[in-house]
Amino acid sequence: MSANEMSVERLLRAHAPHAPESLRARVLAPKPAPVRRSFGLPPRRLALVALPAALGLAVTAAVVNGIVNPGNHPVAGQQNRATVAATTVPESLPLRGAPADSVGAGAGAAPATHGYNSKALATPSVTSSRLAHTDASLQIRVADTDALSSATSRATKIATSLGGYAKSVDYRTPKNGTGAAYIELRVPSQNVKTAISRLGDLGTIVSQELSVTDLQGKLETQSAQIAQLRRRVAALRAALADPALRDADRVLLQIRLAESKRALAQRVSARKGTVSAGATARISLVIGTEKAIAPVVHRGRLGRMLHSAIGFLALEAMIALYALIVISPLAIAAALIWFWRRRSVDRLLHAS
Amino acid sequence: MNAVSTSLDAPSLLGGRPAFAEVAAEQLDAVYRYLVYLTGDRAAAEDLTAETFEKAFRSWRRFDPRRGSPRTWLCKIARSVAIDWFRAETRRRRREETYARDVSLVEEFGDGLPGPLQEALHELSPAEREVVALRILLELDGPSAARVLGISQTACSTRLSRALRRLEERMDDVRE
Repeated sequence: MSANEMSVERLLRAHAPHAPESLRARVLAPKPAPVRRSFGLPPRRLALVALPAALGLAVTAAVVNGIVNPGNHPVAGQQNRATVAATTVPESLPLRGAPADSVGAGAGAAPATHGYNSKALATPSVTSSRLAHTDASLQIRVADTDALSSATSRATKIATSLGGYAKSVDYRTPKNGTGAAYIELRVPSQNVKTAISRLGDLGTIVSQELSVTDLQGKLETQSAQIAQLRRRVAALRAALADPALRDADRVLLQIRLAESKRALAQRVSARKGTVSAGATARISLVIGTEKAIAPVVHRGRLGRMLHSAIGFLALEAMIALYALIVISPLAIAAALIWFWRRRSVDRLLHAS
Repeated sequence: MNAVSTSLDAPSLLGGRPAFAEVAAEQLDAVYRYLVYLTGDRAAAEDLTAETFEKAFRSWRRFDPRRGSPRTWLCKIARSVAIDWFRAETRRRRREETYARDVSLVEEFGDGLPGPLQEALHELSPAEREVVALRILLELDGPSAARVLGISQTACSTRLSRALRRLEERMDDVRE
């Protein structure tokens, strides 16, 4: 440093301003203690504490979910599950290899020779006189694409032989000897058991689901409405036949008759739809080769807990990622604002 | 009172937090000087000094003596307070359509400071004056001053050299 610079420094220090007494009195006057916050941590430390705590909470929630719901995977689809409508119980289906009174979901049992899990499906019994709609889905594994082709054509023939039809067939054999066929079948409800049994013979059953929705209540309601509307129409016709009816009243009755007839037609059409839905069962069939359809993994209790916990963690990660995607534009905007404010401060202080 | 020694700048060796009243009494002049140099306005510097210590008092529990000296911490708060003042002043001038502020040059930056040096200081930008105040008057070391300014040590040193050179050039012009 030059001698001149040192003299400048000496001058500056020697003549440094002092705080006036009024300022001194103002600053050093006794003040009441500030209100103490419950969290005395600075924001940075709070973040360092909050982040591990949040992670710990997420892992704990996943573990608890795994213990409480060991069979539940919240993200992936489920296999070997039977869904039954709350209002009814369906007729039991003598599934291949399964005893008629088997119950319980499929996890935990060793696979049978053909890969079919004998504890797969719970199908309680129901009174056959009730109208019900049946929805079934099967996943079947075959050896190769030749077997796939054969199984696909046999599946459609099974449906037609039972009085049904194939609503759609989607056949794919992309490469490497893998392939899959996605088939939607419709069969008469009374033949659904037979259809599922025969379809199960096409290959190794990997998974199956069955759901039955009772339509009897709906049918009875619709029938009652139709009967009421028919009575109303008859009464209106009888009233219109009266020759002493005034013109204004006649017009009014004719309007009501037209409305009643329209409502009757709608109810009749709806009832036909209900009967049709009860008369036909829907079967969704997926036939695939070894690689296209993975075999069911049978896990023990610990395995199921871990699987469920990992699935829960995956769900939490998805939620966190979604939140990050939503927040990131705001974070970018905040960063831009911070940068702009910093630049504006520089401009303020460098203007002489 | 001359500039205090650097020993007060060092963090407490015992690691404990000193009493706020004690710190305020010790650092009042330093903060005032910094704000006078930064704003170039003694009246504003008084108000800003009071505001600085008000804020410091409210957040005194967050001060960590292991991370720096009380002087550095107070200067950071003072700078933040001064920046808000600059923004408000800019808005006010824009509203009143005044682009130059009449500043009394008499004893603005220092008590009894030579006139040429006073003028030279006035010609510096606030950013240059504040680095002079921090390094020369308050005797903060390079890292502490850089932390207050939010810039690198190299930038801080460069800014100080430039400011002192400008002051010196101005003094040379006067001597000639």
